[in-house]
Parts: sequence; C-alpha cells; structure tokens
Amino acid sequence: MDAKLVNPFIDAFTAIMPQIGFQDIKRTGITVKERSVESLGVTVLVGFTKAIKGNVAYNMSEDTAKFIASTMMMGMPVASLDDMAQSAISEMSNMLTANAATNLVAMGYETDISTPSISVGETFVVKISSENYLSVRMDLCGHTVEIDIAVQ
Amino acid sequence: MKKISVLVVDDSMVSRAVIKAALSGTNFEICDYAENGMEAIEKYGALQPEVVTMDMNLPDANGIECSKMILAMNPAAKIIMISAMKDHNLIAQGRSVGICSFLQKPVKTQDLLDTIWLVCQKDSCNVKSLQDFYVKPFAKGLRKGLFSLAGLESKVHTEVNKEAFVEIDGIAVIIGLTGDPVGRAILHMDTDAMQKFSESMLNKTMGEELAAEAVTASVEEAANIIIGRGVSLINDVFKDKEMRITPPGTICGHKIRIANAKVLSFNIVAMTRLGEFKLNIGFAEGD
Repeated sequence: MDAKLVNPFIDAFTAIMPQIGFQDIKRTGITVKERSVESLGVTVLVGFTKAIKGNVAYNMSEDTAKFIASTMMMGMPVASLDDMAQSAISEMSNMLTANAATNLVAMGYETDISTPSISVGETFVVKISSENYLSVRMDLCGHTVEIDIAVQ
Repeated sequence: MKKISVLVVDDSMVSRAVIKAALSGTNFEICDYAENGMEAIEKYGALQPEVVTMDMNLPDANGIECSKMILAMNPAAKIIMISAMKDHNLIAQGRSVGICSFLQKPVKTQDLLDTIWLVCQKDSCNVKSLQDFYVKPFAKGLRKGLFSLAGLESKVHTEVNKEAFVEIDGIAVIIGLTGDPVGRAILHMDTDAMQKFSESMLNKTMGEELAAEAVTASVEEAANIIIGRGVSLINDVFKDKEMRITPPGTICGHKIRIANAKVLSFNIVAMTRLGEFKLNIGFAEGD
C-alpha cells in the first residue's frame, strides 16, 4: 500500500487526541507488517470505502483503553471496560477515523467510514488485509496505541 | 393492565371484521373504525389512538396520503399499513412518510398481534422498520448465500440483540456498512462449523488437508457475498440510500466479545446440518 495514505490517520490522531484531553502524544514507530495483528486486548476495527477501501484497527491493552476512557470522561475512575467505557472508546475511534476520512478527502480520496466494532478478549488475532499493512505505534502519555492501516 | 387503543381504517366491511376478530380477547382494543381518509384524520385527532391500521385504497384518498396527514398531526403516530399489495415501491413510499410496518391481506392473526405489539414498544417504530427493511434482506442473503456457496439448507431466525456484546468463539468476519444507515455486519461461527463450511464450499472431502489460510479466506469470501447480497437487496428497494460495504476484517480466537456499544443490533441465526452460522447486523444509534 501507498505509505502516503498513512499520514491522514497519524494527523487525525495528533489533531483529535489533544481535543479530548491528551496532551503528550508521540509517534514512536512505524513498520510494515503482514497477515494478522495480534490483539493487545482491545481492538477497534473501522472499515472505509469509496475512492479507497480498507480497514483501520486501533489496538491497545485493556489498561490503555480504561485510561483513555477515564481521560475522555474528565478523569472519572474506570475500573472495568463497561458499557460507558466502551462507548467512549467507540466514540474516539469514530472521531479519529472520521477526521482521517476528512484528511483523505482533502487529498482527493472520497471516503465513507463504517461504525466501529470493539473487540475485547485475552488472546485473539485480527486480520485487516490479505496483503501488507502499515502499523504505527503512538505513545499517549506513556500508553501505547497501535494504529494498523490497510488500504486495498 | 391498560388496553392499547387501535383505530382501524378500512373501507371494507370484511377487513374490519377480520381485524376485529383478530384483536378480540387481546390487550388491544379497537377504539373506532374509519371508512375513508377524512374520517380517519378526524377520528385520529379526536381519539388519539396508540396504533392505527391503515388500508391502502380508501374511497377518498390513498393510505399513504392519509398517513402523511396523521403523521403531520403527530409525528410519533404508529401506523401499520395493511393492504392487498405489498411491493417495493409501496414500502419505499410508505416508509418515506413514516409508516412503521407493512402487512399484506389476508393478514394472519398472529402476525397482526406481533406487529402491533412490536410497534408499541419504546422506539419500536425505528426497531421495527430497521428489522423489516434492513435486517430481513440480510436474513435472505444469509439463507441464499449458504445454499449457493455450500449447498446448505437452513432455518433462519432473527431477533433483536439484547446483550451488551456479541460473543465470538471461532471466527468472525466484520464488514462495515456505509451510506444510510451506517453500521456493521459480523458473520461468525465456531471452529468446527468454519472448517466444515470451508470444506463444503471448496469441495473437499473429509480428512483432506485444507490450509488454515484457505479456510479463513473462504469464510471471508462467503461473508463478502452474503453481506453484499443483503446490501444489494436493500439498494434495490431504496434507490437513494446507496449502502456500500467495506473490505472484511477478520477476528480469530476464543472468548472474544465484540461490544454492542452505540449500535442497535440484530442477531440472525441460520441453523444447518454443519452447525450454526450467525450474522449480527448493527446500526449506529443516533446521539
């Protein structure tokens, strides 16, 4: 896949996360991967289609998901990934992908996005493409969020 | 228990008698009858019934025009159209004005009671209309897809998903739905059903080696075809919606939970000789 298509997703992350309460954001790595993503515990999948088609997966540990949900809810303690916390993670993924889609439109790629699907489990793998995909690691206040992007 | 009031709009004496018989002895009570559109509008305004059954052909108006006027008085009015015709065009027109559900004459008692009950539930007009117009095509897509891909006959059952998550044990193929409405579809099954389905789809005999990748790929392809077929059926009816599907994302593992956060979802289960094939269709809930 074309590496330039990754930037709209990274830009979305760095633009949106500060708006929902995260100040310290760094990109710590980018790698080409193939086949399946090993879930870190919580993986949110959002599909997109129209001028370009593919999937983006936001992959994080359950602790990170709870930290994100808590921060988004103004520091409210989040002991478990309950309905409210899941809603927050879903909302974040939706905002990130919608913003990435806006960035893609600005590059000339009309893009529609689907509803996020949050999967939670101890060990599972997620396949987002039958070919290579790009995996970007972002550091969010000491927590890692992996963004896996596959474009057909 | 308070009875639910129903206004029956129909110019045929026979149809009115059929509906009366169907509702007798139930918790639904006919508050009045209207034989034409003008009478229906007047009686709706005066009686404020909870549910209206509406015939399509009235002497002075058609059922859609009449429903439109009732919905202008009360946008939350719950109207069930009961007519001799029930085609795509009629459904599309009726749905666009806000009719909740459609039944065809002769209406079966149980169908009528179920439908009235469903439209009376909270936010049920939305649930019922999603089920009728967006979920049924996927159920059809699943049944036909399983048959054409692997020669599987199935019994299909659909229900509203009341759980907070969809439990996965085996494989789940997630395909996003874009357009109107936005959502996602998940085809899932256990490992045993997946293996057998793949063998059947790829014409392999039992015991013949099948690479894990080929198994996954065949389920992905099946999901693409089944969900794609459902979306095509929807687009055939609602030509302005232009729903599209995204490429599949596949999850494999055990005890995985896919959250039902911010979606209203439906479970469609196809029971076959190779096991159960489940399709969960979720639509984004408005904020």
